[in-house]
Amino acid sequence: MFSSFFREFFKKRDLKRLKDDKYKFLFEEDTSGEYVVFDTETTGLNPKKDDILSIGAVKIKDNKILTSQTFEMFIQNYCDISSESKKIHGIREVDLINAKTTFEVIPEFLEFIGSRPLVGYYLEFDIAMINKYVKPLLGIKLPNEQIEVSEIYYNQKIEFIPQGNIDLKFDTILQNCGVPNMGAHNAVNDAIMTAMIYLKLTKGNNDVR
Amino acid sequence: MSILDQRKLIKSIHPFDLLGEKDLDNLMGKIDIAYYTKDTLLISKNLPSIAFYIIIKGSVTEYIDDEIHNVYSSGDSFDADALIYEKTEAKFLVEEDLICYEIKKEDFLDLMQDKRVQGYFLQDFVSRHQNLKHHDTQSELTPFLMARVTDIYLHEACLVDENSSILEALKKQYKLKAKVIIVKKEDEYEIVTDTDLKEKVLLSGLDVNEKVSKISTSGIISIDINDFLFNALLIMTHNEIKRLVVTENNQIIGVLEQLDLLSYFANHSHLIAVQIDKAVTVEDLKDIQEDLNNVIRILKTKGVKTRYITKLVSSLNIKIYKKLFSMVMPEELKNECCLIVLGSEGRGEQIIKTDQDNALIIKDGMDVSLFTDPMMKLNSYLLELGFPKCAGDVMVSNEFWRRDVSGYKALIKTLANSMDESKLQILSIILDAKAAAGNEALLDDVMNYLHTNFHSRDDVLAHMSKAVLSFETPLSLFSSFVTDKTHDNKLDIKKGGIFALVHGIRTLSLQYEVSVTNTVERIKELNNKGVIDKNFATELIESFDTLIAIRLDAQSIDKDENYVNPSNLEKNQRDLLKDSFKIVNKFKKFTSFHFHLNMVV
Repeated sequence: MFSSFFREFFKKRDLKRLKDDKYKFLFEEDTSGEYVVFDTETTGLNPKKDDILSIGAVKIKDNKILTSQTFEMFIQNYCDISSESKKIHGIREVDLINAKTTFEVIPEFLEFIGSRPLVGYYLEFDIAMINKYVKPLLGIKLPNEQIEVSEIYYNQKIEFIPQGNIDLKFDTILQNCGVPNMGAHNAVNDAIMTAMIYLKLTKGNNDVR
Repeated sequence: MSILDQRKLIKSIHPFDLLGEKDLDNLMGKIDIAYYTKDTLLISKNLPSIAFYIIIKGSVTEYIDDEIHNVYSSGDSFDADALIYEKTEAKFLVEEDLICYEIKKEDFLDLMQDKRVQGYFLQDFVSRHQNLKHHDTQSELTPFLMARVTDIYLHEACLVDENSSILEALKKQYKLKAKVIIVKKEDEYEIVTDTDLKEKVLLSGLDVNEKVSKISTSGIISIDINDFLFNALLIMTHNEIKRLVVTENNQIIGVLEQLDLLSYFANHSHLIAVQIDKAVTVEDLKDIQEDLNNVIRILKTKGVKTRYITKLVSSLNIKIYKKLFSMVMPEELKNECCLIVLGSEGRGEQIIKTDQDNALIIKDGMDVSLFTDPMMKLNSYLLELGFPKCAGDVMVSNEFWRRDVSGYKALIKTLANSMDESKLQILSIILDAKAAAGNEALLDDVMNYLHTNFHSRDDVLAHMSKAVLSFETPLSLFSSFVTDKTHDNKLDIKKGGIFALVHGIRTLSLQYEVSVTNTVERIKELNNKGVIDKNFATELIESFDTLIAIRLDAQSIDKDENYVNPSNLEKNQRDLLKDSFKIVNKFKKFTSFHFHLNMVV
């Protein structure tokens, strides 16, 4: 209740601050009934310093992951890719030579998500990364509702083991939800896996062990 | 930019691997992932199918008339028929939480425009089976029959000008050690064979200084260097010739000899047969055993059908029996008895050595005790060669299996009047008897007696056939192999499938007096007699072949292995196994109907 009140409040405030009226659709009531799961691959883990390398997103409608409408973009940037993160996502500088710039990608991404609620794992980070580019462009942060899968997982799990120490690592959640590991960590794959976790947690029989 | 990993996954699933890159990209844009909880009904009579499903994780059970018909798990897809024919009798129920790709009905039907994909989904069982098997061999290794003329040793052709003399030609032939002389004429080639030389030169007294073109004949039969070796064999057989001229761009480049061709095909199985013939001691035979195992392995990796390998192996085994028989049996007794092999060896269906099942039939009037010593010796030699002892003691070392013709007839008579399980088992053993050495007429006599005794004994036949139903077909195991720990997540392929086929076919063969013992041959014969139709016969043979082949794989690791873990099989093999078990079930139904088993208590 309280939080939705705040969201409404900020939404109204942000709408006024919106620089470009073209993006008013971000504030419209969502009628699609869809959710967008997204993930970013970055040069590192500090939103202030690091840059986005790629964005992957899929839509969820009812019990389906609409992989037929997948969003996948690679982004050119001038930040060095740390060798640590190279190991995780396998994106090297040379892979980005033909990529687009954030000025092209961010509008397309906003177009893709519309006013749909956003779903993700450690979403806060991905949102912060996106906002880094959205803010200068629109004057505001993303107004969409945000759903954190690790939080849903935690809430379901804590019922069974009230005092438990719950492991919220991505791979642990993946395994406990019985979601197959789709292989390489790239933005789209991670988004699809997160989407599967989300469906399992919200549509399944809640038998997370 | 496409999502590569998803694409790779789809591409690994037959028949989507047949799609071109563009079609695949196109398809990827149409696939969604769906999640269904346990017990969700996906398709049924009243719930038309809306999509084609490819399972990523979880499992789905297909029921027909409330009986489990099939279980689909990771990598499987369903159900093309429901989409194509827009109706189904089956019910598809989620067995374990399901994550799957979904291709919408319209998109799937679009996909069907591709001839290869369409072909795959519209084929009936048999051709789909063969297609899958073909795919299997194709993807594994170069198939046996794909070898080309280029792959084999060619002899240098002895080419002479048409104006050379016969003598010159012969000298050149001798130098090149060629079998034939090829005469080059202005616009064609002609040939001079040994027969030509014999008939036209030696017999008719032609001078060797005459032109060689006087004795050459036209109509050379040739083959292109890029043609299949298999075709070469066909041409030779068809024309009854022993060699072919090999051409490249219409120029003669060599001669292909039949002997080389045959030994190429048979690997050195031919050589082994010769070695067995030449063997003098048991030691010699022992060495040959090693070779035999190698040949089996080579033939198998070359993709030769299992039933041809078994044929080869059992014919070589019979040769070993013959050899041992001649070693142990005194000359004067050799024609007074008949050594027979029983069980799988009698049917010619063993590859890895299973227990020795053998017996001796002795001519009436002979002193049975004369044969005791030689048979004991034979038995010990076989053991030495690695033929294990028979658990049921069906061996010549056992007095029970050493009797004269009237002794066997008496035995058969008591069997015919008994409904006892163990007696019926003995009967089954005798039914697969095949002569290995000695006087074959003795076995014929016994078998004729057996057939006339059982000809109209429908009661005994029905009781015998009952055993076909004694083991469940493990098709339901598929759904539970994840959790079924009692069998180590495996299934018994012998009890589950092979036994039912072998035994049912054997019983039918007894009823219809089919005298061959090999299961495949029996099926063909039963088909000729009109007992089973052509289509069913082919299905049975293919299924039998599949089951034996899969068991062979398991046995190459452990020779007593009848258990197979389906999740360790390749997807194609798993499909083949499933299809084969379906045919086993169909055959069981056929048998119960045929022998009215529902009326037998």
